[in-house]
Amino acid sequence: MKRSKKLVSLMLAAATASMALAGCGSKTADTTATTAGGGAATEAQTEAGTKEAAAEFSYPMASGDKLTYWCELTSTVAANYANLGDTPFAKEWAKDTGVDVEYQHPPVGQTKQQFGLIMADGNLPDMMEYSWTADYPGGPEKAIKDGVIISLNDVFQKYCPNILKYLEENPDIDKMIKTDEGHYYVFPFIRGDEKLCNTIGLMLREDWLKELNMDVPTTIDEWHDVLTAFKEKKGATAPYTFEYTNPQYLDSNPFLFAFNSSRGFYLGDDGKAHFGAVEEGYKQYLTTMAQWYKEGLIDPDLASMGSDQVAAKMTNGQSGASMGQAGSRMGTWISAAVKTTPEYMLKAAPSPSLEKGARPEFGWIELPFSGRASVAITTSCKDVERAARLLDFAYGEAGHMMFNFGVEGESYTMENGYPTYTDLIMKNPDGLPVSQSMAAWFRGCYNGPLVQDVRYLEQYYTMDSQKETPEVWGAHNGKKHIMLPVTPTSDESKEFSTIMNEINTYRDEMTLKFIFGTESLDNFDTYVTNIKNMNLEEALDIENAALDRYNSR
Amino acid sequence: MNKEKSSFRYRAAKDWKRNRSLYLLVLPVLIFYIMFHYKPMYGAIIAFKDYTPRLGVNGSPWVGLENFNRFFKSIYFVRLIKNTILLSLYNLIFGFPAPIILALLLNEVRSKKFKSVAQTITYLPHFISLIVVTGMLTNFAMTSGLFNDIIVMLGGSRSALLQNPKLYRTIYVASSVWQEIGWSSIIYLSALAGVDSQLYEAAQIDGAGKWKQLLNVTMPAIAPTIIIMLILKIGGLMNMGYEKTILLYNPATYDTADIISSYVYRVGLLEQDWSYSTAIGLFNSVINFGLLIFANRLSKRYSETSLW
Repeated sequence: MKRSKKLVSLMLAAATASMALAGCGSKTADTTATTAGGGAATEAQTEAGTKEAAAEFSYPMASGDKLTYWCELTSTVAANYANLGDTPFAKEWAKDTGVDVEYQHPPVGQTKQQFGLIMADGNLPDMMEYSWTADYPGGPEKAIKDGVIISLNDVFQKYCPNILKYLEENPDIDKMIKTDEGHYYVFPFIRGDEKLCNTIGLMLREDWLKELNMDVPTTIDEWHDVLTAFKEKKGATAPYTFEYTNPQYLDSNPFLFAFNSSRGFYLGDDGKAHFGAVEEGYKQYLTTMAQWYKEGLIDPDLASMGSDQVAAKMTNGQSGASMGQAGSRMGTWISAAVKTTPEYMLKAAPSPSLEKGARPEFGWIELPFSGRASVAITTSCKDVERAARLLDFAYGEAGHMMFNFGVEGESYTMENGYPTYTDLIMKNPDGLPVSQSMAAWFRGCYNGPLVQDVRYLEQYYTMDSQKETPEVWGAHNGKKHIMLPVTPTSDESKEFSTIMNEINTYRDEMTLKFIFGTESLDNFDTYVTNIKNMNLEEALDIENAALDRYNSR
Repeated sequence: MNKEKSSFRYRAAKDWKRNRSLYLLVLPVLIFYIMFHYKPMYGAIIAFKDYTPRLGVNGSPWVGLENFNRFFKSIYFVRLIKNTILLSLYNLIFGFPAPIILALLLNEVRSKKFKSVAQTITYLPHFISLIVVTGMLTNFAMTSGLFNDIIVMLGGSRSALLQNPKLYRTIYVASSVWQEIGWSSIIYLSALAGVDSQLYEAAQIDGAGKWKQLLNVTMPAIAPTIIIMLILKIGGLMNMGYEKTILLYNPATYDTADIISSYVYRVGLLEQDWSYSTAIGLFNSVINFGLLIFANRLSKRYSETSLW
């Protein structure tokens, strides 16, 4: 009896001890056996390169090994397909290039974690679509040095006439997609027109404005009046709301830009990097927001707003103004709301300024190359030529059309030289929303290794209020101030991210406290001092050094 | 000859012969623990290294205590420790007795039907996915949500509950208790079922009422179960998972909500700083280990039950 009791106790003890250690154990599992398979690929690459000159080549390629391709499955595809390989787009791509591809996808919303696991496991797919520029710890140059991906300079020269031609014609893009050391590392996702970079902005209820006999607000003061009217006359309980939990919207916050500030780094008039969240403009922004919050003009639930909650408030009249994309937000809300409120209409409002009629100095615009959804070839890839030719296809003429419009005669027809989507896309017989039917046939409607064509957007925006958004939202000089895609050196990057992590956490926390009024704005100076004590200067030095290196690329 | 007989080898061989089937029986369990709990511990070494996946565990350069220093020097260190301890302490104080009380109450219920219905209802929430539970909580806690409707009915005023750092722990702990009370009570119910009914009869004859029976028969009978569960709980005290926290918190509530594991998640996993997150994890485990030993000592001193 005594003995068995002891045994039970012992086992329990073992279980507890291992439970206690599981916290670190589970994270570190599967970390062995990562070094194999690095060298073989580079040999294959140089060998294959000598065989064939770039000019004599034509698609499709002779059949060969299946390549593996890792990428996020975007929600508009995932709604109908479990794997990108099942879509008409992927089948057409395989047919045109002669390359069979096996697609691998991380679970939705877990791209970064899954990427980390793949890195730890060391068993790399041939091609990986990821934001290598920002999300590989240590930056893209380190990814090459770590032996994860290969430098593409030789590969471009040998097998990629299309992308070379494109880069020659667009030297500013060429500069963006290189590392400081001059290495190409990805087949980039590029927005081919400035209109494609102005996809986020303010919007508000046009029908309410008409009813209240008010104009679209262009200054902070006018916005105050409009929101007050929404609250008092239209009974909105949260006149202005937006997806505060989505960092994308915090970065593109037009009300903050109105005060010539930003929450992160921006490019000053002196050509140097500045950190917006410690400057006078940020204080003014906080003061205004705190005031609005107190007056009930801003959603009281701001901090926990996700896309569903915002959609609900925007369509049921609790809110009258918000911000977001013209497609996935404005369009979706309008079509959802007109079912119950036929007169419902949203209108885009420009990036606000402080003085009436002044062109805002700051505003949201995305860079043509943001680093997202760009494809690198890994060191595990045995047939680099095949992968390179597959990816280069999209940057050529035929590939460009296929990636942006799909298959001629099926998803689009040429009308007076303009690729026009067919009813298969615009009025899908199976009842798919346009965003989903588009995503099935081509990648230009979201992202990927391609140059996005503005003619897609012109047709994707079907409502008048959507069509005017690029003009309205682009009316500012924000392009001058957006931070370029610089990369710290691999030595600096760890220090940089350590510093910025602490600062960003503190900034996010204090920003909400200031807005909610739980922290008085008299303490703004203390807040600035605290951030400076977290070594902001050092981070700025690193950022500016990176900027210098970028400029001299 | 005699000496040899008492040697460990000899005894082990003899024991093996005699209890071969028992050893075989325990083998899969042992393998499981070695494979999935002891072998991975070796990976904890990366807490002392600057780990890069391509270089592997052995190939990564040694940095000593740098990762630990970084954590100790972080301005959030004190707050993280405080929040983790407080949150788990509240969870223990409110979450531990609740299932025991529920089990005792259910044990007294005479109607079988009522008992099983009550049991089912209380343990159903355990099966709801955490993401659904937090989704419900987020919506209920909004200014237009259910919780606020109730507050208004009771004469209060509306506010965004999940934006208030003072309420965060209450919401977190209360929802945990609600979700786990029924499920955790099962083990106590089974312990209660094992109590000899003769003991109750004897107590009744001695003139003990229901309350006296509870104190003098039921409680001593299930005390070993309670103590073992308590020690296990204390051993895992610092092991607060990040999932619920990252689903419930927002920058406005970092003050009370941000705990070690959510910090590790933000800094370590999202930034892929494996060495750093392992260092914090290891630090956490060492504290847990200390707590476990402490709890065991305590229980050994004041009662007869202990793990070893």
